[in-house]
Amino acid sequence: MAREEVESEVTGTVWKIETKVGDKVAEGDVLMIIESMKMEIPVLATEDGTIAEFQVEETEPVAEGQCVVVLET
Amino acid sequence: MAWEKSIEEIKRRREWAAAQGGASNVARQHDAGRLTVRERIAGLVDAGSFQEVGGLTASVTYENGVAVDATPAPYVCGLADIDGRPVAVGGEDFTVRGGTTASLDKRKGGQGGFSEDLAFEYKIPLVNLIDGAGGSVSSAKRRGHAVFPGVDSFDRSVELLAEVPVVSAVLGSAAGGPAGRAILSHWSVMVDGTSQVFAAGPPVVQRSLGQQITKEDLGGTPVAVAAGGTIDNAAASEEACFEMIRKFLGYMPQNVHELPPARDIGDSADRIEESLLSVIPEERRRAYNMRKIIELLFDRESAFEIQPDYGKGLITALARLDGKVVGVVANNPMVYGGAMDVAESNKQCHFIELCDTFHIPLIFLVDVPGFMVGEQAERAGVLRAGMRAVYVASQARVPVVTVVIRKCYGMAGMATCHQAGLNLRIAWPSAEWGSLPVEGGVAVAYRREIEAAADPKQREAELEEELREYGSPFRTAEAFGVEDIIDPRETRAYLCRFINAAQGRLKTGLGLKPRAGVRP
Repeated sequence: MAREEVESEVTGTVWKIETKVGDKVAEGDVLMIIESMKMEIPVLATEDGTIAEFQVEETEPVAEGQCVVVLET
Repeated sequence: MAWEKSIEEIKRRREWAAAQGGASNVARQHDAGRLTVRERIAGLVDAGSFQEVGGLTASVTYENGVAVDATPAPYVCGLADIDGRPVAVGGEDFTVRGGTTASLDKRKGGQGGFSEDLAFEYKIPLVNLIDGAGGSVSSAKRRGHAVFPGVDSFDRSVELLAEVPVVSAVLGSAAGGPAGRAILSHWSVMVDGTSQVFAAGPPVVQRSLGQQITKEDLGGTPVAVAAGGTIDNAAASEEACFEMIRKFLGYMPQNVHELPPARDIGDSADRIEESLLSVIPEERRRAYNMRKIIELLFDRESAFEIQPDYGKGLITALARLDGKVVGVVANNPMVYGGAMDVAESNKQCHFIELCDTFHIPLIFLVDVPGFMVGEQAERAGVLRAGMRAVYVASQARVPVVTVVIRKCYGMAGMATCHQAGLNLRIAWPSAEWGSLPVEGGVAVAYRREIEAAADPKQREAELEEELREYGSPFRTAEAFGVEDIIDPRETRAYLCRFINAAQGRLKTGLGLKPRAGVRP
């Protein structure tokens, strides 16, 4: 099992986490939504896998390039 | 046969050239995960099409007047075909003294070398396969004096940028002259993991700043491609890199005196994609996949992204419509809602100049809320960079069609239109525009009224709602303030119609593009 770190492409605030630990996801699935520049920017799964861990919570600020979700692939 | 001995001598010398830097150096190059320059040329060009020039250049050992051994000059160049069209190609031979400059009467490649002259005189594209660190301080000892910068001038490299497509691939560690040569290109590429590029390598950094850093951390693809935009694209392997070079050249004319090559792949101009109706979410705060729209609108699998990892709020791609080459500039709502930051502006300027130089019409797919805001953006000089994009768009002389997908606001919005030309703007029903998005704009324009209200928050919301009504794209279309609003499914046919109609006009603008003025 490899660990895949999924990063936020933008600086903003975590608005909604749409998945939970243990969920199986496919590449391109929406994992959570970041609010930035008055827009809802989705964080997408970069590979097929299972959600191992969230590194942020809703309402928490995130920086561009910050790891927000870890997938087991 | 009278010349038998000399013919034999040519053959022998060619064998020395083919041996490159010797078996152990070739093995070392392979162990580093890299090909030799001869393998690279063979992997890039049409099979059997390489006509080498200067294969006899070497440092030769003579015994009693007879040549007994030779070390080839560390550069291999010549004429070849890519997809049946001639190109000038050359690259450093890293297996010979690490690809350093040789003492020849005339340079074979790099700035001011034979391969540059061949491309310039024959008006054919130039491909540089770069794998060398350029000059060394030891050359001062050899020459007996320190070399003044510019002894190998970049003047021809600069001239080429106005005349023929120039492609550079960085295939090893490049510093100094070869690194600089790579930048003076219309398009550049490097390989993940096995190539690095920098103004100066780790030993110089250590000596100058006391910083210890690896080659990869200083100039690998994460730094040179994604962060710096120094090199345009990253490739997973050398083979993938050659494939990308062939692809890029496939969109380019041989020189600025020709039109880019049309290629009909049998994708109907009238193809209708139903999914274009559902791709834009009704909820205007929600981002969507602009790359999907590009895939649906342009000829199937024709889009080739330039600088995909840099300035990610903007997508620039070469593509085709009904077989004709076009340049696509699309905002990416997934990254800061598509706001134009410094990197996005740099990317847009370079791409527009590339397309304008080679007579490639531009299609803008617009969803831009404006220039990026915030202290960080201002410190980076976002306003100057953004206005440079406005300036460059204004100077373009190729036909431009602007398709407003969603937001088109402010000066960043202006950089997507072509008021110097036809200024043809077509909009989807999801489009909205103005000098400033209503949110935020209301708070500024109606500050006193909002502050005086019993419930300022509610008054602000009311004003926003009121103004949003005027934001309907149909109202602007009534006033011909935008040329058309179309069903998104009609977009491909609409664009193909205009791009086909523009082909005759493009011929009237062939040749060098004059540029005047000072970029802000």
